[in-house]
Amino acid sequence: MKISSMKYLFGQGVKNVWTNRIMTFASFCVILVSLLLVGSMMLFTANVNRFISGIESKNEVVVYLNDGVTDETVSQMETDIKKLDNVAEVVFYSKEQAFEDYKKSMENAEEIFESIGDESPLPDAFKIRVKDISKMTSTIAQINKMQNIYKVSAPNDFADLLIGIKSTVGMISTAVIAALGIVCLVIISNATRASVFARRKEINIMKYVGATNTFIRIPFFVEGMVTGMLAGVAAAGLTWFGYEKFIEALSKQMTLWKAFGIDEFIPFDSVVVKVVLGYVGAGALLGAIGTVISTRKHLKV
Amino acid sequence: MVEFKNVSVTYSNGVDALNNVSLKINDGEFAFIVGPSGAGKSTLIKLILKEVDMTSGEVIVNGFNLHKIKRGKVPKLRRTIGVVFQDFRLIPTMTVYENVAFVLRVIDAPKKYIRSRVPYVISLVGLKDKVKCYPSELSGGEQQRVALARALVNDPALIIADEPTGNIDPELSYQIVQLLKDINNCGTTVLMVTHAQELVEHFGGRTIVLNNGSIVFDKVLGGANED
Ligand SMILES: Nc1ncnc2c1ncn2[C@@H]1O[C@H](COP(=O)(O)OP(=O)(O)OP(=O)(O)O)[C@@H](O)[C@H]1O
Ligand SMILES: [Mg+2]
Repeated sequence: MKISSMKYLFGQGVKNVWTNRIMTFASFCVILVSLLLVGSMMLFTANVNRFISGIESKNEVVVYLNDGVTDETVSQMETDIKKLDNVAEVVFYSKEQAFEDYKKSMENAEEIFESIGDESPLPDAFKIRVKDISKMTSTIAQINKMQNIYKVSAPNDFADLLIGIKSTVGMISTAVIAALGIVCLVIISNATRASVFARRKEINIMKYVGATNTFIRIPFFVEGMVTGMLAGVAAAGLTWFGYEKFIEALSKQMTLWKAFGIDEFIPFDSVVVKVVLGYVGAGALLGAIGTVISTRKHLKV
Repeated sequence: MVEFKNVSVTYSNGVDALNNVSLKINDGEFAFIVGPSGAGKSTLIKLILKEVDMTSGEVIVNGFNLHKIKRGKVPKLRRTIGVVFQDFRLIPTMTVYENVAFVLRVIDAPKKYIRSRVPYVISLVGLKDKVKCYPSELSGGEQQRVALARALVNDPALIIADEPTGNIDPELSYQIVQLLKDINNCGTTVLMVTHAQELVEHFGGRTIVLNNGSIVFDKVLGGANED
């Protein structure tokens, strides 16, 4: 196909956005609402996940060692633990350091410590951060198999709770996003079907004078794509505005959120490119697929 | 070239529109197809364009066997035929100019050619002043002439006109048929369906009479004004 023909067909598609503005507006609204629903759901999920991984990163497993291990054994153990898949970070926490910290935390109790003397009664330990909290149990089991381990302590119940929240949020948001996506496509292809049906005569005539399916489809494709992109831009703008306002309102209660371990919500600036591209891309795709599906039936003449 | 071999068409409602029709129209011929309303004239034309399919028999049009043709090839077939439909079939959202130009766009004709060819063809049918009008702004006769311009524009091997003078006053009718005759003289095959007895008598030539789905007469008549 010649460039000039391509230009003509694209031009027709863009023109049709305006010519068929009533139907365009209908699909525009459907795509806009769908994008907004899916987009807010995704932003919500992203915030929950950030909150969870924030907690995860603070969550540590403490491995206490037997008394009297040599420095060489300690460094050997450190390398061994580092080698485990799920271990993100290992820090040695000496018994002297532990005793210092302990003393500091117990002000006004000097007499008690005097009776103990300078020798630390606490064991040496490693502080470990895991990569994936849901695999923590098996990591602990692996560490327990090693020599010279006195005890491994981990906030297991808390971990279980976090894992529960994470998988529930993940499941619900996946289900909602999938359901919305299907609903969108159905509504959009119905909206465009009405628009295409109104133009079925036109499509038939084009076929009778020798137009190929592709030739007829390109303007429809462009029309749907442009409509979807416009809806994407509008959705991005609305989300931006709405999200900032929402976060602003929530941030007024920051002390309350801090109590839940949330220090900060995802700032919109950090996701703006993803949101805009995602909306515009998804809008274009939904619009184009919707119209092209609906032209199928009328092209069979 | 158009060839029908024992062709029958039965519509889905049971109406037998054509019964065992055999017919051959050679390249460069001019033929009138006449017959009473409901005789099957439009059905014959729709068959040629593959708008309806035959129930039995064989149709060959410009080298395409319509029974065997693949879907993807149908546009190719249609590009070899210019049709004036009985119901015009102009695209309502396009101007006269765009309706005619569309046929050339479909075949990927150069822009320059479109720009010179379209106004020329429109002036041939006497609608120079109406290029920017939409079909809804035209009279029946004017729409019919736009349809004729669209059929001519890409210089097809075969022109089929279904009642191209149906909405036109007698004076203009003669001009239209004369135009078709001139095009035929340049080598294009022309098939024209008409009710107008006086046109057939005036111009003469091969005349095919359909009645009740069958060919009852197929002879060359001498015209009053043979050219
Ligand atoms: N799409 C259709 N479905 C069912 N029957 C049809 C259809 N089109 C035409 N017919 C029937 O087939 C027969 C032939 O119709 P056709 O349109 O070919 O007649 P015609 O000779 O063109 O008539 P006219 O001079 O009035 O245009 C008629 O009885 C008509 O009712
Ligand atoms: Mg008819």
